[in-house]
Amino acid sequence: MAIAIQPYTADRIPAVMAFNQRLAAGGIAPQFHFPESNVPYWLPKTDERRIYQEYYLAVDGPEVRGAFILKYQDFVLGGEKLPVVYYHLPVSEGIVNKAFASVGVLMLRSALKKEPSLFALGMGGFDRPLPTMLKAMGWSLSAVPFYFRVQHPAAFLRQISPLRQSPARRFLAGIAAATGTGWIGIKSLHWLRTKKGAAVTSVEFVESFGPWADTLWQQHASRYAMIADRQSTTLNVLYPPGKNFLCLRVLREAEVLGWAVVLDTQMQENKYFGNLRVGTIADAFASTENAAVVIQAAMRTLAEREVDIIIANHSHAAWQNAFQSAGFLQGPSNFIFAAAKALAQKLAPFDTNLSRIYFMRGDGDGPVNL
Amino acid sequence: MTAPLIARVSRIAADVLEVPATSISLQSSPENVDTWDSVHHLNLVLALEQEFSLQFEPEEIDQMKDIQHIVDILGSKVTQD
Repeated sequence: MAIAIQPYTADRIPAVMAFNQRLAAGGIAPQFHFPESNVPYWLPKTDERRIYQEYYLAVDGPEVRGAFILKYQDFVLGGEKLPVVYYHLPVSEGIVNKAFASVGVLMLRSALKKEPSLFALGMGGFDRPLPTMLKAMGWSLSAVPFYFRVQHPAAFLRQISPLRQSPARRFLAGIAAATGTGWIGIKSLHWLRTKKGAAVTSVEFVESFGPWADTLWQQHASRYAMIADRQSTTLNVLYPPGKNFLCLRVLREAEVLGWAVVLDTQMQENKYFGNLRVGTIADAFASTENAAVVIQAAMRTLAEREVDIIIANHSHAAWQNAFQSAGFLQGPSNFIFAAAKALAQKLAPFDTNLSRIYFMRGDGDGPVNL
Repeated sequence: MTAPLIARVSRIAADVLEVPATSISLQSSPENVDTWDSVHHLNLVLALEQEFSLQFEPEEIDQMKDIQHIVDILGSKVTQD
């Protein structure tokens, strides 16, 4: 029977459950199973929203053989506002049954036919199947640099050392080993990399984003080659009150310089961080000139909460400098940005503009992976 | 027309799937060629598109269950073109 790509409807839920069971039987971890509801738990489509997700299935008669998600959102790209679509969580039965080896490329081609300016983000590293396929199809790929700052070296060394299986974990463990006694070494390394001069006037916690965030956006968004909409209506959907997000507004006297969204998460047997308390700078916005002030404010907020380590990803060169100035070290990144040909053409010359593109962890596939 | 087409497709498939050309037959499929997984399937599709200067529709990719089907699809597309 021919496989067709269709929107996920409620009557397909039992077939998706059966699909997930076949994936599980083939050894696929639950985080790669497809949602067993046709209504997205995160960013469902509503009449008033410009940011939402749609679920699609690759159906084979009554069976589901694959699925993917399209996240729609507005971007400012080259100074122009336009929708760009994020292709994520593609999962194909081909990974457990080679009879369906064609489903992965079928889904990708169908998504591209529907939305040529696709991008993908995250994906776990260049060597994973999806980035490999995207590269073969002529997409432009680049790692979004990863930054970390160890706040409590003793806890860091205790938790990281046993986690040596992956290159990323080996890197972190290597930092520990290379610094000898660890504690003194890590403190020294961060001290050497911490520059003076980015003094923060004041930081306020905010429950929600308001017109002040819109003003900031209007002033600075067009200075970035590509950036997802960060106006208050979108931010209040992404980072709603009552969740784990800590939203900070950074001011110098009455002037709003920028904002940041951070998380303070106690990990439990996490495969990367063991039982560390991890601070994440998930999102932020400011002019490039005020990037360092905002990053320092976010860092100090998390440091005061006694996190063991602070992590972030950022694709923009000025913000990368801000992280380095704040004493962050760069580690190996498995957070990959991939642009389909049509999108890469809009960003041409892609390699030159890459350092002016703005992606952070908050641009990814939802709060689960922050 | 068919024999040369089969030969071209078999040569490309053998090259992409990294198997001897003699092991490729019209019945070769992901189910009986060890190396024919999702990524190799994509590489095969792209190699065929480049070789024949065409682009497959998603529905055609779905029909590429084995070499016989690939030859059939290409036969109709090349004839049409």
